[in-house]
This record gives sequence, structure tokens and C-alpha cells, in this order.
Amino acid sequence: MTTTATRPGAPGGPPQTPVRAEPPTRQEPRSGIAGLLDLPGNAVRGIIRSAATTPGRLSVIAVGLVLLALIIGLVGTLSAQDRKNTINDLIDHREPLASAAQQVYRSLSDADATVASGFLSIGTEPLATRQHYEADIAQAGAALAYAASDSAGVENAATQVGILNQQLPVYTGLIETARANNRQGFPAGASYLREASELMRSKLLPAAQELYHINTERLTAEQDDATSFPWLATALVLVLIAVLIWTQVYLTRRTNRLLNVGLLVATVSVVVAVLWGSVAMIVQSALVSSGQSDGSRQIDVLVRARIAALQARADETLTLVARGDGAGYEKDFGTLAGQLLGQDKQGGLLGEAKDLASGKDSANDVDDAVKNAAAWVDAHTQVRKLDDSGQYQDAVDLVIDAEKPDGTAIAFGRLDQNLVDAINSDRQGFLDDTRNADRALTALAPGFAVLAVFAAAGVTIGIRERLREYR
Amino acid sequence: MSGTKARIFGVMAAVLLATACGSAGKPMDPAPVGQVEAPQPGGVGGADQQGGPATQNNCNALASLAPNPAITAGSTMAKIKSAGKLTVGVDQTSFLTGFRNPITGNLEGFDIDMAKQVAAALFGSSEGHIQFKAISSSQRVDVLKNHQVDMVVRTFSITCDRLKDISFSSVYYLAGQRILVDKASKVTKLADLAGKRVCAARTSTSLTKIASDPSKPVPVSVENWSDCLVMLQQRQVDAVSTDDVILAGMAAQDPTVKVVATRFTDENYGIGIPKDHPDMVSYVNSVLDEVRNGGAWKSSYDHWLQPSLGDNSPPTPVYK
Repeated sequence: MTTTATRPGAPGGPPQTPVRAEPPTRQEPRSGIAGLLDLPGNAVRGIIRSAATTPGRLSVIAVGLVLLALIIGLVGTLSAQDRKNTINDLIDHREPLASAAQQVYRSLSDADATVASGFLSIGTEPLATRQHYEADIAQAGAALAYAASDSAGVENAATQVGILNQQLPVYTGLIETARANNRQGFPAGASYLREASELMRSKLLPAAQELYHINTERLTAEQDDATSFPWLATALVLVLIAVLIWTQVYLTRRTNRLLNVGLLVATVSVVVAVLWGSVAMIVQSALVSSGQSDGSRQIDVLVRARIAALQARADETLTLVARGDGAGYEKDFGTLAGQLLGQDKQGGLLGEAKDLASGKDSANDVDDAVKNAAAWVDAHTQVRKLDDSGQYQDAVDLVIDAEKPDGTAIAFGRLDQNLVDAINSDRQGFLDDTRNADRALTALAPGFAVLAVFAAAGVTIGIRERLREYR
Repeated sequence: MSGTKARIFGVMAAVLLATACGSAGKPMDPAPVGQVEAPQPGGVGGADQQGGPATQNNCNALASLAPNPAITAGSTMAKIKSAGKLTVGVDQTSFLTGFRNPITGNLEGFDIDMAKQVAAALFGSSEGHIQFKAISSSQRVDVLKNHQVDMVVRTFSITCDRLKDISFSSVYYLAGQRILVDKASKVTKLADLAGKRVCAARTSTSLTKIASDPSKPVPVSVENWSDCLVMLQQRQVDAVSTDDVILAGMAAQDPTVKVVATRFTDENYGIGIPKDHPDMVSYVNSVLDEVRNGGAWKSSYDHWLQPSLGDNSPPTPVYK
């Protein structure tokens, strides 16, 4: 039963005559396909036949050259346009996205540090602290929405955005529960804050860090893409020039005429296209590379320094919040300060940034950042001394009071501002370089197309002139 | 005939199959969430690995050294006095006994008052002479063994297990384990918690009691007592079970919970002191005698605990 039912052909053709219907349907396409298959064979045979005579050979050469010129025109125009699109994408999407991911990571780290210092203040937190936290959350939300708009298709990025989008409202909810309890004088508020901080450090910050890495890597990959060598177009152009020269030599030998104006125009067009294209792409590649080395690479180092500073700041504050139970936070602070400044207070991420910044607009800001970071670490030593000797409230004042000239709050605030200025200056550097790289490619794509058409026209006219002599 | 029928069935089956594949099927879920992970306090665990300290006092645990207010030269108390500072391990998360008041920023509570009494007796005033170190329940024995603090006043039950590593003062408060549940809950005794999630702080006698109860509640351990209240409020545990005085502090922070069950353990709170400082035990016992008899105990109790726990009087000390 079932075997008969699933016999091939049964559902389509008339059920009574499936076998008889087949032979005629097979015969018809066979003749058509065979005819089609014969076409290229016939054409090749025809070309070979006509190439045996000089005019025939000239025609073949002309057609080949015209085709080659047009293909090169197409390939060159497309790759120039593609290059231009890549550079515009760097400016319009990749860099803003890397920056948005950086903002998410930064504002979340900052929120963590701000909440902790709000907890140390007596009574309700100061207005400035509250506004600072609110700005962080608003910034994180806005930057996250922007980062989410481009995470589709990049699975890992979408995963991180999903985590952040799901957990950020939970985090803010915990903070508000903590506030409500604090206002009533209940220590449960402190427990909600600790829970919020735990959520931030175990889920939100790792996701934000991963998102930042993904977007920075995508930026670097696209920069590399925009400086890659156009192998295909180069190879084709070299072949075209070689064939053009060979054709002219061949024609000179055959016809004893030194010059063929059409072919000369074609050769000049191709050479102009090659020179223009090479110069434009060399300049453009150099500018994109400089946007990478002076801009985005340095921004990455500065961003990592800024986030290390923010997390160290949170650790410093949480050590005091824990009130004697904060050895783990203090250890974290030491690790992060080491990453930031190195053991000799000259190395670390800031030392790296200083080397990269030398001679650039951001050099002053980075120098100041190194000084202020060193001042902060010194002030922190003083805080620990006070806290360890029992002067808890004095230690707290140094950490949260932005008015104290020798406190850590003021030194950290200055360091953060230096890093912001340096990052902004480097973003400008990136934008200027990359924008100029885009300008270097102005009109290259249409210009390449026009020159290719010139070359094809030159070939056609030049060879038709010779062919005429055979009539 | 049967062959034709079979063919018709075949055609119908093929058509059906084609329609099934061609249709859109169920509407897709564009953003599946899976299991929602609710936030938890850091470091939530189960029962203690090595079995925590049990409340069993068959070693005459409550008998402390006889009180002696004298400070002899070269003794521990003389050293602390000349350093000008008494370091005390306390809790900053348990409402009413030891907590950071978020409005004043100060540590307050019944245990904090006891610590201040010792400092006041030694220095004349506790102001500027006492350094509090906030510690979690699980750190209490270790900070004494490592001499990171001079003493621990932190709802610290005297047990035979703990006496192996540290010394205790005489008893300054008698508490007992009870249960905190949601007001709507029908739980009235520990046996009602069979199979339910019950919260207590790590390495506390309460956690040991929960883990070893024959009705088999599921123990959930946290770093600090107030984390238990957070988990109860987030509906991640069904109950909190520990000393009535700690539960009273939680109930005072949340009007939607209640304390149930009669006391099913006796917890004798003492001040923890390093084992190699017997002179300090004698000195602290003399201070506590004064505190119990001189009205300081009652005024502190009435201020912090009386509204929740009713009238009470200080326990009677036992000495060797």
C-alpha cells in the first residue's frame, strides 16, 4: 500500500500513465540543451578560424582588450567605492559603536563607585552623588540602546547586550530598595546595596567589558580591511598594460607605423588610472593607519586605564563600607593601581598611554593623568593609614569629601577628567585622519570608470583604423 | 480499487505535508528569555562543610574566670590601655544588636553598647578609644585566634566547640532560636519547615541546628544576617531561623513578617576573647558584673530590645 503510494511521479502526472508520459518530455529539452552546449564550441571554433588571418586576429585582440578594460573599470570602480564605503562606515558606525560600548562599560563602573560612596555619606546621599548616579544610569541606557542597534548578527555581542538589558533594570531596582531602607534607618538597605554591587560585578561589568572588546575588535578589523592591498585590481591592470604594449609592438611590426593614437590614448588612460589609484590608496591607507595608531589604539589604552581607575575607586570606597571586613577590596585596589601605574608609578596603562601620546594633542592630558594618579595612590595610602589606626571617620572624609585638597576624591576626580580630555582629543584625531582618508578617495571610483571607458574607446578606435586598411 | 484508493491517500498525504511545511507554523518568540535569574546576595551557600558549632554545653561552658578589675603591669589590659585603643569585632548588619545606622553613620545596638561599656571602664570614656571592625559571623573565631581584634561582641554563643580555640566572658544575654516567616505563613514550629528553604549565617549555631534537624529543612547560608532578610523579602527562602534577638531586629525592619515557634535552643551570649588573654577575661567579667547590676544593661535592653521582646532581666553569671 504505502510503497505504491510513494512511487515517484505518482502525485504529479496522471495516475494511469506515468511511465508512458516520460519519454516525450525527456526528448524535447535534450535537443535544446545540446544546442546550447554546442554554442560555445562553435564560437571558439569560429574565433580560432578567424584568428588565422591578421584582420581576424586584430578583431580578437580588440574585443579582448575592450572586455579587459571594461572588467578593470568595473573591478576598480567597485573596489574604490567599497573602500570609500568602508571608511565611511568606520566614521559613521564602527567608531561610534566602539565608543558607545565604552560608555556602557564606563558608566556602569562609575555607577558602582558612586553608589558605594553614597553609602558612606551620612543621612541621605548628597545631591551631587545622586545626580552623578542618575547621569551614569541614563548614559548607560542610551549607549546600550545604540550598541544594541548593531549587535544583530554578531551573536556574542547580542548575548552581552541581552544580559545588560535584562540586568540593568534589576540593578536599579535593588539600588532604590536600598535607598528606601536607608531612609528608614534600616541596615537591610546596606545588604541590598551589597547585593546590587555583587550583581554589578558578577554580571553587568563582565558583559559590558566583553561588549567593549567585541566592538573594539570589530573596529580594528575594519581598519585593517580599509588598508588592505587591492590584489585583484592590481593584477588585472598589470595584465591590461602588458597586453596594450604588446599590441602596439605587434601593430608597429605588422604595419610599420610607429604610433596608433587610439591605443596610445588607451595606454595613457590606464596609466593615469593606475597612478591616481595608487597614490590615492597609499595616502588613504596611511591616513587610516594613523587614525588607528594615533586615535583608536590609544583610545583603547586610555579607556582601559579609565576603567581600571573607576574600579579601583569603587574598591577604595567599598573597603571603607566593609569597615574592617574589606581586605579583599583593598587587595583588588592594589592590583588595579598596579595595572594603572605599574610598580614604579611610571609604567602600567598610563605609562603605555604616555608613550603613545608623545608629540600629540593629548600628551599634556596624559602627563597630568600620570601625576594625578600618583597623587591619588599616595592619598590612598594615607586613607589606609587612618582607617587602620582607628580614625575611621577621617578616612571616610578623605575618600568622599571632594573639598579636601589632600583627599582621594579630588585626586581621582582630576585623573578621571584628564582621561576624558585625552580620550576626546584622540577621538578627534581619529576622526580627522579617517575623514582625510575618505577625502583622498574623492572621485576615484567614477574617475576609474571614465578612464576605463576611455581605454576601451581608444582600443576600439585604434584597431578599427587598422582594420579599415584591410578592406 | 484498493490501488486507486492508496494513490488517492498518497496524493492527500503529499498535499497535507506540503501545506504543513508551507504554512508559517506557530508564531516565533523573537526574544526568548529562558530562566530568569533573580539577584542574590553574594556568597549564598548550603550547610557548613565541616559541620558548624552545635549548641551543646556539657563541658560546663558557661563557667568563666572570676571577675577581677585589677590591671597589673605587663598584662593584656595594661598594653591595651597604653595603646589608647580597644579593637572590637562587631556586626554592622544586625538591626538592634549591631548595625550601622545609615542616618548617623554610627555603629549602634545592644552589642555595641556592651563593647562601649568595656572601653568606658578602661579609658573613662569610650569616645575615641574604641575601634570597631565589622566582621561576618564566620570570621568571629579566626579574628580572635589571629589577634586582629582584642575582643568580639557579636551575638556570639558560648559553645564547647568554640572554647577549644578561644575564651568567653560570662554570659551577658540569654537568647534562643526561633523562626521568622511571612505573616501569611502557617509555620508554627521547626518541624513545619520540612523540605523548605531556611536561611542562617555561615558557621552559626543556628545553621547547624537547621542542617541537623530530623525534619530536614533545606539550609541556606549567607555571609551576614541581614542577607537572610533580603532573601526572605525576595522570596528566595521560606524562613529565617536564628536567635530571637536577631529575628526581632529583622521583624522591626519589615511589618509583613512575624516571629513564630517557642525557643528551641538556648544561646548564651558571651564576649569572645583570645585564649591566651585570661587576664582580659577576668577584667571583662568585672565590667559585665557592673553592667548587669548597675542599670546599664537594663537601660540598653529597654532602648533596643524591650519594644520587640518585652521586659527582661540580665542572666546570672557562673564562674569557675
